[in-house]
Amino acid sequence: MRVALKIWRVGADGRALREYEVDAPEQATLLDVLDLVKDRCDGTLAYRKSCRMMICGSCGMRMDGAAVLACGVRMRDLVAAGRVPVISAMGNLPVVKDLVVDMEPFWAKYRAVNPHLQPAGGAAADGREPEVAPERLSAIHKESLCINCGACVSECDAMSSDPDFLGPQALAKAMRFVGDPRDGARRARLEAVNGKNGIWQCTRCYFCNERCPKGVDPRDAIAKLGAESIAEGIDRDPGARHARWFVRSAVTTGWLREAELVPRTQGLAASLRQVRFAARLARAGKLPPPLPPHAAERVVEARRLRDLLAGQGREGYRGIVQGERALGRIVRGHVEALDRDPYGPGSFPRPWLPGARAGAEEAEETAGGGR
Amino acid sequence: MLVVGAGCAGMRAAIEAFDAGADVALLSKLHPTRSHSGAAEGGISAALGNASEDDPAAHAFDTVKGSDYLGDQDAIEILCGEGPAEVYRLERWGAVFSRDERGRIAQRPFGGAGRPRTAYAADITGHVLVQTLYEQVVKRGIRVYEEYFAWKLVEDGGRCVGVVAWDLLRGGLVGISAKAVVLATGGLGRLYAGSTNAYACTGEGMAMALHAGVPLKDMEMVQFHPTTLAGTGILISEACRGEGGFLVNRDGERFLARYAPEAMELASRDVIARAVQTEIDEGRGLDGNVLLDLRHLGAERILERLHGTRELAITFAGVDPIFEPIPVRPGAHYQMGGIDTDVHGRTALEGLYAAGEAACVSVHGANRLGGNALLETLVFGRRAGADAAESARRARGGDVPEAAVRDADAELRALLGRSEGERPWRLREELAESMRENVGVFRREEQMERELEIVEELRDRYRRVVVEDKGDVFNTDLTQALELGALIELARCVVVAALARRESRGAHARPHDYPERDDAGYLRHTLVTLAGDAPEVDWKPVTITRWQPAVRAY
Repeated sequence: MRVALKIWRVGADGRALREYEVDAPEQATLLDVLDLVKDRCDGTLAYRKSCRMMICGSCGMRMDGAAVLACGVRMRDLVAAGRVPVISAMGNLPVVKDLVVDMEPFWAKYRAVNPHLQPAGGAAADGREPEVAPERLSAIHKESLCINCGACVSECDAMSSDPDFLGPQALAKAMRFVGDPRDGARRARLEAVNGKNGIWQCTRCYFCNERCPKGVDPRDAIAKLGAESIAEGIDRDPGARHARWFVRSAVTTGWLREAELVPRTQGLAASLRQVRFAARLARAGKLPPPLPPHAAERVVEARRLRDLLAGQGREGYRGIVQGERALGRIVRGHVEALDRDPYGPGSFPRPWLPGARAGAEEAEETAGGGR
Repeated sequence: MLVVGAGCAGMRAAIEAFDAGADVALLSKLHPTRSHSGAAEGGISAALGNASEDDPAAHAFDTVKGSDYLGDQDAIEILCGEGPAEVYRLERWGAVFSRDERGRIAQRPFGGAGRPRTAYAADITGHVLVQTLYEQVVKRGIRVYEEYFAWKLVEDGGRCVGVVAWDLLRGGLVGISAKAVVLATGGLGRLYAGSTNAYACTGEGMAMALHAGVPLKDMEMVQFHPTTLAGTGILISEACRGEGGFLVNRDGERFLARYAPEAMELASRDVIARAVQTEIDEGRGLDGNVLLDLRHLGAERILERLHGTRELAITFAGVDPIFEPIPVRPGAHYQMGGIDTDVHGRTALEGLYAAGEAACVSVHGANRLGGNALLETLVFGRRAGADAAESARRARGGDVPEAAVRDADAELRALLGRSEGERPWRLREELAESMRENVGVFRREEQMERELEIVEELRDRYRRVVVEDKGDVFNTDLTQALELGALIELARCVVVAALARRESRGAHARPHDYPERDDAGYLRHTLVTLAGDAPEVDWKPVTITRWQPAVRAY
């Protein structure tokens, strides 16, 4: 197939959008096409690559403005749709040349979260592994899938306005240890991610979840860290207080009491500075009067929800609903049609079910000394 | 001291050396977590005894038999004896191994293994180990020369004193002095079209050692993995068969009943690769593939233990293994041979060590068992790191002479200075296609002879290749040309060793002229060195401790 794409070339002499066209095999990925461009058209094109199977994390870049692993994008559908994708370097990281970015800022944040296990106890006397229930380790299954490709960081909205924000990768890495039952530094880790560049800087735009090629879902990891922090009583950040107030408000009156939200989150002194703003909101009908409190008809429903979570023992990260759904996606997979019969019509060849030895025996009979 | 290559073996070596008090740095052309160790899928074998009774001697016997008796048994006993402690250590460092219902490290059956012995983290075991080792490297603050391309070993006064490397990000050659150097640069899979290996697996460490006069051992022993995806060569893990997957031909027949009636899908890789290739060659394949059927395992088990495989099959073959079998064929996967070392990683050159796939201790002999490669990286990475640290402590300071960097620079500038001629990619493709064709699963004398001519011709053309990128910053056009240079040198070594071994043993199958194993003639290692400009084959005895060669059937 004929594949065309445009690449933002970046070098010491500035940048330019160049269009290339190559013949590529039907199954070609974006990375294969870049290789063809480099070999056949222009040897100076720079990009990283290695495994070409979505595990080394080298080839993070943007296609039409969204971060991808080049090796994981099949081109056929794009070609069929007549699209000429625009390829550029990842965002939020300094461009070195063409599609190559300087990953050092990424790794600096990775290092900042003390990314190594700090074992909770001493080594077992027999030197063997401690017993850990499988489901306790599966809690960090998603976080441990991270391949450090930088796709989440590239798309991070909060980092684009605050370059010092620890960001989705480092925070997912932090959760990988906070959620590890073998780690003994949980509290210190939670304190660390509650710093001024920590979890509460996240704007919850969800682009990291959207673009992660491995299903790590960093935003969910950030939510889990928030829940764990609050469960540990680490709630001095306005972000944590904001979250707490949402819960408090919901279980007392069933609705969010906006007038109380600002003082509860920012404190009285900071709120007083916003009285005029609040008055303007009220005049425009944007702020319900604080009294009488805005109460739902059946507050009990909200309370029941809280009690349900508590009854299920879902403190901390276990209560994160989006995390649970996403976790479910890994355990259950993205299977839209689990009810489809894998042995039904159209399945070929005849599947061999366990214990079905008939065919093997036939085969042995006909083998004729084929060993 | 310096460790070149930062996959599992390199990082393990550096950590051990650091903990022994050495001033150690890692150097790699990739960031450490990008190393190809991370693509290992199925697991790491060690006699933990969690899933059944097991002991290191049983593991060692399986490995000896798997090696078709070419493995050195002293090294294999070390591998299997020290294996469990290394697995526990990695667990202690944080590796997230899958657990069984008692909370112990889970172990699954693997090819050629008598018992379920392969510890795993779903089917991303290598990824988990690389991440864990890198965390330990960061914890220790070990210096990493990231994205430095090691090009030349430097020898001075009969000792290795460092390397000359190209700084990819900034450009320029630098000499890095070290009192001991460990080569942990991995394999040479890119020598073959359809390989499972990463683009980075181009064997520079082996080529550097060869040019420093160090012999390469058993280079003819290239493992073909039975199950790789057509077109891309992407690895479909042996874990699929360990979990109970079936291989079937176009008639839906579990054909391994005719090749390995006892072990079936869990025979060793060379046996299965030959069976698969025979089915395809004799017209019982489908478009050059056979089918790996996982459907009977059920969605739950596939999603829990083989999710990485499923992701690969969906992305790269458009097949969801829950509903359809995966088309697979054999592909070049692993180099059993490599830099000749002893059990401490020492080579023939004082101060030079090797570990991991780059090295040949030899624990894999003529055929490696699945799960033993990761184990080798840890056990022998650790041993090489420890011994190199000790050697560095004893050595008197030697520095990379300025002349070494100057000479290398002149050679590089000559390459960059050429502007008329062929670009390397065509040579690279011709080399890989012809190696697959002529030195593949089954080997014929005349094809190997032809390949030797092809390689000599490519070697000649290589002297005139043109690098189009003349710049200093991230010049992968240059580094890819240098990688091709290494591959061409190594191709010669593989072919001459393959021609010299006139028998069939493990991965080296010559059904047309020498169909049997010949212990009287060839129970010994090939050693390739350069005599002037030409490769020369010599032999080295195999170490046998407890297990005399016997008939090998699965």
